[in-house]
Amino acid sequence: MSSDLIILLTAGLTATACGLLGPFLVLRRNALMSDAVAHAVLPGIVVAYLIFQTRAPLPIVAGAAVFGIICVLGIDALRGTGLVKWDAAIALVFPALFALGVIGISTYASGVHLDLDSTIYGEIAFAPFLSLDVLGAELPRTVVLGFAAVAANLAFVALLWRKLKTTSFDPQYAQAVDVSPARMSRLLLVAVAITAVISFESVGAILVVTLLIVPAAAAHLLTDRLTAMIAITVAIGWASAIGGLSFASAADASIAGMMGVVAAGCFVLALLAGPRYGLAARAIRRRRAGRRARVALGAAREAGAPS
Amino acid sequence: MGPLIDALPFSYTVSVIALGAAVLGLTAGVLGTLAVLRQRTLVGDALAHATLPGVCVAFIATGAKDASTLLVGAGAFGLIGALLVVGLERSGRTRPDAAIGVMLSSFFALGIVLLTYIGSLNQSGQAGLESYLFGQAAGLVERDVTIMAALGLGALAVVAALFRPLKSTLFDADHAAAGGLPIRALEVVMTALLVVAIVIGVRTVGAILMVAMLVVPAAAARQLTGRLAGVLVLAGLIGATVGVTGALLSAQSGLPTGPVIVLVGFLVVLACLLLAPGRGILWRARKLARDRRRLLVEGVLIDLETALHGGPPPTQHELALASGRPRRALRRALGDLERTGALARDGERIYLSESGAASVHAVLERRDLWSAWLEHGWRLELPDAREPDPRDLRASLGDEHADRLRALAAEARA
Amino acid sequence: MSVDEVPVHSGGAPALEVRRLTVSYETRPVLWDVDASFPTGALSAIVGPNGAGKSTLLRAALGLIPADAGQALVQGRPARSALDRVAFVPQRDAVDWDFPITVREVVEMGRYPVRGWLRRLTGEDRAIVDEALERVGMGPFARRQIGRLSGGQRQRVFIARALARQAPVMLLDEPFAGIDARTEATLLDLLRELRAEGRSIVVVHHDLGTVRASFDWALVLNVRAVACGPVGEVIVPQTLRRAYGTDAVNDGAQDGELRWVR
Repeated sequence: MSSDLIILLTAGLTATACGLLGPFLVLRRNALMSDAVAHAVLPGIVVAYLIFQTRAPLPIVAGAAVFGIICVLGIDALRGTGLVKWDAAIALVFPALFALGVIGISTYASGVHLDLDSTIYGEIAFAPFLSLDVLGAELPRTVVLGFAAVAANLAFVALLWRKLKTTSFDPQYAQAVDVSPARMSRLLLVAVAITAVISFESVGAILVVTLLIVPAAAAHLLTDRLTAMIAITVAIGWASAIGGLSFASAADASIAGMMGVVAAGCFVLALLAGPRYGLAARAIRRRRAGRRARVALGAAREAGAPS
Repeated sequence: MGPLIDALPFSYTVSVIALGAAVLGLTAGVLGTLAVLRQRTLVGDALAHATLPGVCVAFIATGAKDASTLLVGAGAFGLIGALLVVGLERSGRTRPDAAIGVMLSSFFALGIVLLTYIGSLNQSGQAGLESYLFGQAAGLVERDVTIMAALGLGALAVVAALFRPLKSTLFDADHAAAGGLPIRALEVVMTALLVVAIVIGVRTVGAILMVAMLVVPAAAARQLTGRLAGVLVLAGLIGATVGVTGALLSAQSGLPTGPVIVLVGFLVVLACLLLAPGRGILWRARKLARDRRRLLVEGVLIDLETALHGGPPPTQHELALASGRPRRALRRALGDLERTGALARDGERIYLSESGAASVHAVLERRDLWSAWLEHGWRLELPDAREPDPRDLRASLGDEHADRLRALAAEARA
Repeated sequence: MSVDEVPVHSGGAPALEVRRLTVSYETRPVLWDVDASFPTGALSAIVGPNGAGKSTLLRAALGLIPADAGQALVQGRPARSALDRVAFVPQRDAVDWDFPITVREVVEMGRYPVRGWLRRLTGEDRAIVDEALERVGMGPFARRQIGRLSGGQRQRVFIARALARQAPVMLLDEPFAGIDARTEATLLDLLRELRAEGRSIVVVHHDLGTVRASFDWALVLNVRAVACGPVGEVIVPQTLRRAYGTDAVNDGAQDGELRWVR
């Protein structure tokens, strides 16, 4: 595989993995929880490096999952006390965990072959130089991991499809038929934590959030159907990957950052020109409705009809 | 700033850092409180991220790398971000959390692109911009601190001048609007103040973690007082303390400033959440445990009275069988009663002392009073909005009305 | 109270009047071409089924939400320029009960628009606040944080805030929702006292039984104004059926409502 193809596949697969989860996060109003979890996995990575002294994926995924769960449970517990509101609970827990991770990296940087830059920018440009030994075959590491993440999320969404759909649409009904919305949210956020940590190497801890939220929010403006929303989200993800790659090399800037910017561009386009929920379409509709109301009111008055 | 710096018992550099951190903590604490009470702290997070591209654009436009020039860019982008978040929320389809998330991550992505673009230009001084990610107190100079202090004082003066309109809008926007307040304008003012706090802090704490500095002081202060003025003042003090402690620790250890400040702040909040009198988690748990214990002891007292009424003084074993209470609970309750001198023993057998009999009487009277309230409470005219507390009806109604209630019950019985 | 006794002051403008008020949410009309007036010195109710636009009418009249068409008058003057004559008790579901504020501070808010938002309160203001607190029986609770009160006590505080405003017209949005019977009776007595003092009171209310028994005047609303007039003429089966719909009357309505419809 050529270097460019490896980078493109890595970016596209990362966006796909995120795009499978993003629509649920947006529909469940969990977008900011996913932001929190994506930050909170950082200390998990550091701890896994320190304990196992390896960059092998499994321990790191485990460490990230543990800290993702700590983050979610911590926020839930803090809200549960009633002493702080939900937004403050989020804003207290994830910065503390992220700060822990940053301090860990700064202190043990030489030991873990990590640096602060890579937490922000990701290392997608180095993707062609990393390989993973799979059953004796040397395969590009980030592509293999990307495929694994997509497969895992696809399985997650497919297996829990009905439960996710029910709890997203009507949490109280779901609870009545014994599907706990809180537990589904936690499972979803654990999936976010694992996706975040796998994507971490390529796009960095924070730009994962862009790929989780922005394409899904754009798709939400374009369709009313869940399956279509997921398809559009993934499509926007690939568009961001391709666009991000080409613009980044033109401007000599971060590939991951440029992917985020392209995704944001897609969102703006959907917001302005979406067929039904776009600003332009709504303005036209509102103007028509106003005119109709005025005509109807005027007619009623002229006919002298009682109100 | 000169005389103040001289007055501090530190070296010049350390004094500048400490002062800067104090100014940042004070303003973030007070102005962040406004956001916390509106439940808009995560908008603050989005705005903090939005300052990053602002700093980069200011650098590209002017080539200057001094904090003061870059602040202008940060402020402009913060305001743009604020307008866009509100606009997106009002556009209808996109929910508030998604709107904040989209703004936050889009601006941050733009910031990263610009940051790496500047890096590729290979100019000197690009390294300075990276400190806007995680924060760096070390680079602060006296002029920066002076500008931060002036900005902060201005913002605090606005809060002091508009205290009542702000309080009314924060607590009950509908009522404030019906009283003629321009609440939209006040919301814009509050958001602008939030941007000021972020602009002051972002260099030292960093764009990613700035939100914690907005929330920590307010969340801690709210646990300690129930009045807005008190929360604002305390939040300012807590913010300044956290800021100075964190900045000095970071300067000493060479760790990035933002994370150290955030961790110090988190510990302070945790302590307040656990220990605050009247509210804290541990405080409430202790109160609950005490109430439960009292209920248990009173129950055992009545059990004992019932047993004594029906026969000879019981042994502990007999009492456990008769009352059906778990042995451990019974043992604890009897221990408590023994300590207060309510029990007397005859070998294995337990009976009530004189003071014990008095306590039984008091407990029974309380129970009678409660059933009298349930039965006749509706006939009782109360002079104000007092309401019955099932734990202590007499104290909550007042002696006069408790006696009146008993009289009503006696009348009904006769 | 019979119809003849309704204390409608002849000659003066009504306390609150809306003309051709039309309000839409997105493109769906919530109020459609509503004409209604509430007489001075009367205790008036706005009744109607859920989603009839009862709260919307008050909020639009005060200019809290934009109206597509129509106008609202308070004592004959455009409502937006007569806000100083109105005391408003909004619904409480959006209030943050953990907000750091004491009972007394909440009631003092009623004085801010009178005294000026940036001025200090005078001794007179403090006396008015004390009196308002006493009148609703909240004097002993003045220093409590608002969240440490029961539902009924909280509503008393909000009524005290409206009293401190000392306005001739009081508008209350569902003041008895989620409140114990004792408090409801006390507050209803207080509203009657205020009427006796000459104030005009308009209450959004859902209990037709109370309206029939204690109110003078009513607007029956269901997006359009169904009927507006003295309670004895307006709260009658015919208008209620038009407002609530036949099906709603037969099986959807609550006890108090049914009684007056059958």
